[in-house]
Amino acid sequence: MKSAPFFLLISILLLLSSCEQKPAIFKEHQTVFQIGDNPAWAKKIWNDSNWKRRINLIPEGEIFWSRTRIDILKAPEDFQSYVLQIDPYGEYEIFWDGVLIGKNGNPGKEAELPPEGELWVTYQIPTHLSAEGTHMLALRLSNYYFPDHVGYYEIEIADYEDLLTDLLVKTSYMHVFAGAFLIASIYFLFLFLNNRKEYPTLIFSACCFLICGLVLTVFSKDYVPIHYSVHVIRLQIINSFLLGISFLIPYYFSMQFPYPRRGLSLIIYAVVLISIWLVNGHAFDYKTVSMTLSMWCFSFAVVAHGAYKKIRGARLVLATLLLSMAVFLASGFVVSLYTGLGLILLGMLYLLTLNMKAQRLAYERSLVRSTRLRLELLKKNIQPHFLMNTLTSLIDWVEETPKKGVLFIEALAKEFDLFNQIEDQTLIPVAREIELCRTHLEIMGYRKEMQYTWEEVGIDPEQKIPPGILHTLLENGITHSLPQEDNNVRFKLIYVSDSNCKSYTFLTFAKELKKRSDNKEGTGLKYIKARLTESYQSNWELISEPADHGWKSVIKIYS
Amino acid sequence: MNILIVEDESRIAKRVERMTRDILGDNLTSLTHVDTLDKASTFIESPSLDLVLLDLNLNGDNGFDLLTTAVSGSFHTIVISANKDQAIAAFEYGVLDFVPKPFNRDRLEQALNRTLTKDKTGANEVKLLAIKKRGKVQLVPIENLLYVKGAGVYTELFLTDGTKELHDKSLEKLEQLLSHSFERIHKSYLVKMSVVKEIIVKSGSKYMAELKNGELIPIGRTKYKDIKAKWL
Repeated sequence: MKSAPFFLLISILLLLSSCEQKPAIFKEHQTVFQIGDNPAWAKKIWNDSNWKRRINLIPEGEIFWSRTRIDILKAPEDFQSYVLQIDPYGEYEIFWDGVLIGKNGNPGKEAELPPEGELWVTYQIPTHLSAEGTHMLALRLSNYYFPDHVGYYEIEIADYEDLLTDLLVKTSYMHVFAGAFLIASIYFLFLFLNNRKEYPTLIFSACCFLICGLVLTVFSKDYVPIHYSVHVIRLQIINSFLLGISFLIPYYFSMQFPYPRRGLSLIIYAVVLISIWLVNGHAFDYKTVSMTLSMWCFSFAVVAHGAYKKIRGARLVLATLLLSMAVFLASGFVVSLYTGLGLILLGMLYLLTLNMKAQRLAYERSLVRSTRLRLELLKKNIQPHFLMNTLTSLIDWVEETPKKGVLFIEALAKEFDLFNQIEDQTLIPVAREIELCRTHLEIMGYRKEMQYTWEEVGIDPEQKIPPGILHTLLENGITHSLPQEDNNVRFKLIYVSDSNCKSYTFLTFAKELKKRSDNKEGTGLKYIKARLTESYQSNWELISEPADHGWKSVIKIYS
Repeated sequence: MNILIVEDESRIAKRVERMTRDILGDNLTSLTHVDTLDKASTFIESPSLDLVLLDLNLNGDNGFDLLTTAVSGSFHTIVISANKDQAIAAFEYGVLDFVPKPFNRDRLEQALNRTLTKDKTGANEVKLLAIKKRGKVQLVPIENLLYVKGAGVYTELFLTDGTKELHDKSLEKLEQLLSHSFERIHKSYLVKMSVVKEIIVKSGSKYMAELKNGELIPIGRTKYKDIKAKWL
């Protein structure tokens, strides 16, 4: 089972490495810009040597042109056609070798007309103009909404079929990826709703949801039309998702691998992340990389500390973190972002399953313990030492003094009846327990032909205690005591309670037979301790020690 | 007969006492009841004691420490216990009988008769013999025992490693306990028959048993016929 996460990781890596590079079919030269408007600037041959390589600001949606020389290295084959993909900020007309091949919005009229066109568009290059050799791509643009963001765009020329296929493959894979995270997110949300103390499941669910949102926002651009004026919103959404992810993942690790001053370090980390998120305006790539690297470093520190402290699961998570860094170093940011997030989330999932297993085992152990205690209580009356000695005495009473024998049988019946009533309970009223003790003394009186007396002080009959614990103290008292001179053994139960503690003191007044061995804890005391743990976890105390008059046991239950 | 009852349940002790008096009648010389091990130990030292009726669970203690001490004594031990699952172990330690509680008069009589009639336990295999050595009780496995020689009220145990140990029980009492694999071939010798290699007839109708380790043990003239019939 432990190898399953590694198998998944390796599969993802293989999948990524299988995306092979195709040979380039074009070469792009320096793009140059000129403010103004002249239809002749679309021509293939035009002297643009005095055009600028860069223009920082073109205010008020004024028309400007860009010209890019492009060498086609390999002409399309028969019945094949090339397309051009371009994503400039602005509304524009696009010319290929002087021929208008597309129009995106209304350049120069943006102030008057509503936004039109979309950011990512492909244009068909006429087949007769795709021959091997030099070509000219000219754009007539206006950039009304981001006048200081002129001329940043990427050009891609590809076979139409290939481009479609690549887009489809990439988009569908990434959506499957997002879908997996969505399902995980919903599943773990439901798990949390059914067990609201388990905050790690909630955080894991939130992480999965944010990653799903991130992937969908990034990879929906090819089918959701976005005007360039609103593109910043998309980038802000992406960065907000990343902000959430970058905080939650280390936070999750800090819950699983606690360390000193956790709260303070998390606040500092949150401040760092938010300041990266807020500063630097539109430098979105810079923000993305900074937040992701911060997340990795902080997570690494937390998990490495966990591994140093030998917390379960920390080593495997540390390995996934290192692996994600290896992917980053080997394949660059974009690939490693999704692979890395996938790897880290797998690590988190592994920790969650470890937790679940630990919880399940703890629950099973508690079930087993309760069953065992129930059986031990039941066994008290059928274990041979009690039962056979009682029956032997009983036979003797019946043979010798039948009337007393009947009383003996009645007492025995009553004790059995009381045991039947309490055997499946974890807490019973103390009055019931005392009744049980009195009946037991009656039986032992017939067996041992001794005078047993029972006294109680300050008992609140409605208080609840685990079944059989006073009875067990009584049995120990009977077994280990010899009567005093008047053939009497006396037991006394004292109840005292205050705001934070209830205390039962059980005193035996008798000749102590011999020192009870301290190193060997009897099954009776073990039973009492297990019962107290079952009902009060660790909020109890049991003292059992010799006293002047015989023996003294104190049970303290803290609230 | 001198009998000691060790039992912490007063009613049961009285029952045993009453029935024992009834069954043994004139055969009974003395009968004592104690309810703790400490009290029992002073009586156990008495050489005139013939039988101990022992409860294995005294005041919550494990009865086997007590049992080991008891079976090393010169007297026979009969266990009367509520824990039937201890019966096999008790027999292995060399008790004469195990009476499970609750018991009636017949079962107790059957047990007491074994001591009277020198009945051989036979069916139950003793696996250990308890011996007193330097104030402590030691258990010797029966498989290490070759033969037993009577020495007055005591006996000498001859072991496979060539050593010799003293035992407090008489040859008669041991014969009763060991009858499943040992044979009284002489008035002074009790021999494990599985270690006898052959029987040598010497001049003057003298018979000797040769053991596998080469030792020669005399065979009583009166015993020879029985042994020949039973073992050869």
